[in-house]
Amino acid sequence: MSKKRIIKFFSLALVLLLAVTALAGCGGGNDKKTETETQTQTQPVNLTVWWWGEQEAPGAQKWMDETVALYQKEHPNIKIKTVLQSTDQLVPAFKAAAAAKQGPDIQYFWGGVWTLEDAWAGSLVPLNDLIPAEEMKHYINNNERTFDGKQWGIGWYLSGNAIAYNKDLFNKAGLDPANPPKTWDEFIAACAKLKKAGITPVAAGVKDGWFGGWLWQLLNKQTLDSVDDIKKAAVGESKFTDEKYAQWWGKLKELKDKGYFNNDVASLDYQQGQDMWLQGKAAMVFGNDTFFPGWIKQMGVDKVGIMQVPVYGTGKMADTITVTAQGWGVTSWSKQQKEAANFLVFMHTPDRIKAWYDNTGVLPADDRFDASAVQLPQMKQMNEWYLTKPSLNMENFIPSMLEERGIFPGVQLLLSGEKNAKDAAALTEKAIKEWRSSNPAALEKFKNWIGK
Amino acid sequence: MKGMNQATDLVSTGSTEKRAERKLTDRYQALLFLAPAVLVIVSVFLYPVVKLVQYSLQVQDYGQWKWVGLANYRGLLNDDIFRQAAKNNAILLLCVPILVILSIFFAILLYEKIRGWQAYRSIVFLPYLLAIPVVGIVFSYIFQYNGILNEILRSVGLGRLALDWLADSKLALPTVMVVIIWKELGFGVILFLSRLLSVPEELYEAAKLDGASWWQTHWNITIPQLRGIIQFYSIVAVITMISWVFNYVYVMTKGGPGTSTMVSELYIYQQGFRFNLMGTASAVGVILLIVTSIVIFLQFKVRGGLDSDTE
Repeated sequence: MSKKRIIKFFSLALVLLLAVTALAGCGGGNDKKTETETQTQTQPVNLTVWWWGEQEAPGAQKWMDETVALYQKEHPNIKIKTVLQSTDQLVPAFKAAAAAKQGPDIQYFWGGVWTLEDAWAGSLVPLNDLIPAEEMKHYINNNERTFDGKQWGIGWYLSGNAIAYNKDLFNKAGLDPANPPKTWDEFIAACAKLKKAGITPVAAGVKDGWFGGWLWQLLNKQTLDSVDDIKKAAVGESKFTDEKYAQWWGKLKELKDKGYFNNDVASLDYQQGQDMWLQGKAAMVFGNDTFFPGWIKQMGVDKVGIMQVPVYGTGKMADTITVTAQGWGVTSWSKQQKEAANFLVFMHTPDRIKAWYDNTGVLPADDRFDASAVQLPQMKQMNEWYLTKPSLNMENFIPSMLEERGIFPGVQLLLSGEKNAKDAAALTEKAIKEWRSSNPAALEKFKNWIGK
Repeated sequence: MKGMNQATDLVSTGSTEKRAERKLTDRYQALLFLAPAVLVIVSVFLYPVVKLVQYSLQVQDYGQWKWVGLANYRGLLNDDIFRQAAKNNAILLLCVPILVILSIFFAILLYEKIRGWQAYRSIVFLPYLLAIPVVGIVFSYIFQYNGILNEILRSVGLGRLALDWLADSKLALPTVMVVIIWKELGFGVILFLSRLLSVPEELYEAAKLDGASWWQTHWNITIPQLRGIIQFYSIVAVITMISWVFNYVYVMTKGGPGTSTMVSELYIYQQGFRFNLMGTASAVGVILLIVTSIVIFLQFKVRGGLDSDTE
């Protein structure tokens, strides 16, 4: 090869490299330009949706496929790709996408901090300019995703917590299925009767941690007045070892010591614990109402009862039903933010809201839903509680580090008999202190979040 | 004659120039051929390492990166969960000698063609072919408090030994270690067996003639012959225990109960992808990289020493 040819080759390679770099620059670095501009009807638009929900609301996949097909039919220039994430994948996959500023246009989010942490990280756009206020006001639980006066996400369907019980096993133990326990003392008495009859009173699994979070929010909220109480403890205005925050550990210990959980509670995952109840191996389960329609279908409508978590506390949240709206956000790097928001609005059209309920049996997060369509008595009851005594899910108002390092391990170690209530409370206080010292920026956000 | 000399001079000057030009061309050609590989190495390895180090010296303040120097590293030293993770990785290193010894033992048994050795060879190697998440899920069921293992123990009257293998913080890590050994053993056995098959038969025949016992034969012939493979496999196993156990832990225990099975990789995952603390996660990544590099360096050092001994 002659020197001239080599120089020619290098020159050509350089030109190509520059061209590729320039093209890459155009593709990746122009994220502010025309972000919110609506593209014309003729321009092809590709939307990517990362979602979750089939796991807790079976039928969601079918509804999603239908919805996408209908929307694409109405908007032939728009192609929507949906990716169903696993439970473990949902959060880390989005964090990785956010780090690279590449990924979905629309992302599924749980409420509260699960949405806002990513909003604070600059990964989401406020939806106020993309969805008309007149439309948005119909979405339920918007307050979970509001910060700084902006709406960072919207709800899709409702997810609430109650205890499901097996009426046959109640009968077998001599309990009245029409009058489930309402207070903690009644609950303990019922558990004693069930155990005496050779029935495991409560099915649960805490090995993967998630159920620990549920127990915490359902029991700890009873001594609190609002989610602000928990935010105050998070920022250090009070302590998780204070009686108000630590009392629930004693209740959990009581259940453990009296043998009211399945003996393998510490070695089962949350789903396995729920399955155990479904198989008739335990009388009660702390459940999520998104599962209720499926369970009722499997066990029979007359076999399943639902009850509120028995009350022991005197806080304003004691006699309430936790409800959250699982929902959506639009990413800051999306080039089609307006189109993405339009698709979210389409999900809330009357036809789609009805179709959602028809497919899943789960209540949609939209006040335009005609509740007279609800047939199952258990879901009617849930809907009535939502309207009369709702409270927010406290798990959505704490830093994830508190959950991972304090609550999950605390519940595991207490239920495996390795920690007492006092130690478990101390573990949560330690976890929140670690969060405060390692995450001062988030701490500031939490301080600003109190009272709003 | 003069003319001829001049001509020769011209020719020689010309050929010298040509040689010089050719040398230059060769050099460019060499560079040209090397360029893609260099580009790949720089973009695939060097760039991420530089970025990793850079992130480890910064914190992400909601979309903005801020320089904090060594604060992330100092934070790690004060974090007892990180210390627990590092300690657990160190405990996992106990698997290495067990793996080496068991692998050699099984390789020798297979080499000696015990009855049914072909079937055993496949059985021993099979776990290595299985995906770690599959192995993790299966063993999670086996080790449940009411799982198969405990049911068997209870059915044969050994109910006192039926423990909560993965839900007791004292037992969980040893249980995970058992699974790691079960899964990783096959690779070692096949490695050692391959080497054994290339050892000259005469060595064993001579030992036999000399009346060497089974133990003497393997101690004096097999082990020295396997020395290079032992080093290689040990290093691979050490690296596995330091930075390749995430899947086992994540699937079987998620670091619990409590933080009893937390390992550095899971710590990185939690910091980066649960707590949004990419700076801290990167700092642990740098530490892991340094530790692994030291291990690899030692391997080369030891191998170099051994090679020169052999020469």
